[in-house]
Amino acid sequence: MVPVNQDWPVADLDPVRRMRVLAAATPGAAYAEKLIPAPFSAVWETASDLEHELPRMITDLRSFEITSTRGERLTARARGRLGQHARFDVVLRPGWCVMQSRFLIGGMAAAPDGAGTRFAFLGGLRLPGIRLLDPALRPAAQSLALRPIRRLERRLQAR
Amino acid sequence: MAPMTRPPDIDPALVRAAQHGDQIAMADLMDALAPYVGRVCGPIALHDGPDAAQEALIVIFTNLAGLREPAAIYGWARAIAVREAVRVARKAARAVPAELADVPAPGDPQLAADVRDVLARLTPEHRAVLVLRDLEGLDEQATGALLAVPAATVRSRLFRARRSFRKAWSR
Repeated sequence: MVPVNQDWPVADLDPVRRMRVLAAATPGAAYAEKLIPAPFSAVWETASDLEHELPRMITDLRSFEITSTRGERLTARARGRLGQHARFDVVLRPGWCVMQSRFLIGGMAAAPDGAGTRFAFLGGLRLPGIRLLDPALRPAAQSLALRPIRRLERRLQAR
Repeated sequence: MAPMTRPPDIDPALVRAAQHGDQIAMADLMDALAPYVGRVCGPIALHDGPDAAQEALIVIFTNLAGLREPAAIYGWARAIAVREAVRVARKAARAVPAELADVPAPGDPQLAADVRDVLARLTPEHRAVLVLRDLEGLDEQATGALLAVPAATVRSRLFRARRSFRKAWSR
């Protein structure tokens, strides 16, 4: 006889590991991770303030306005530096944020790692045929995805 | 042994949306699948369970478009999770010298009966049989088909695995 179900070990997948899965499954995605030397609560408090912090992290973004909130589900209106705008569907909860518009996808994830926080950033385009460009885009995309994380890190250091 | 509690049903429309690259649907589908994949990978890959579950979900999501029948998603995900968990556990076992392998401390019956300790004495293949037969409730034929071994091998692995538990508990 084998012990009851609840005694069996269960593998837990933290938000950063989940974001790695989304990144691997998203053709052409820009994805990067970095260990930020700040506690999870401080990192996520800043990162999850989408209206104020997202335009600081993504410099092409002029504003990001939350237009509705229903639990973890949000909608937002984003405006770019060139005047373009898009409606985003967003899922936001502690350590986890994914969003998409008609043409763009994005995500952030955070998990405690020692005394610091592992932070992940994902960005990409929803375009037909992007899968074909994936091998060419990946290497450059990683350095692009690191920039918003570095901006977040500088913002946290300045506080 | 009662099989694992049946995981919640997944809306076929959610699977279809995720197959078409809807990022929100993919995230929702991951919320539904990750706990299930974690329950399958945990007892097989043990300490490497999170790595195994991550690898399994990467295989699941990168191949999602090939899943023809959304209703079959749990069975499909289970097969991938078991294979990835055995692969990751085997790789980790090779990387650790035998003398450093986890050996449960003898003498303490409470400790010896700990599921994790007993599982650690088995090979990943034996643990996979236990998970499929005792947690998932699959029969010998289905377990053998999933692991690509004859039903007789499933029977002998299960016998050995259950005997390990009996030994641990009878101390």
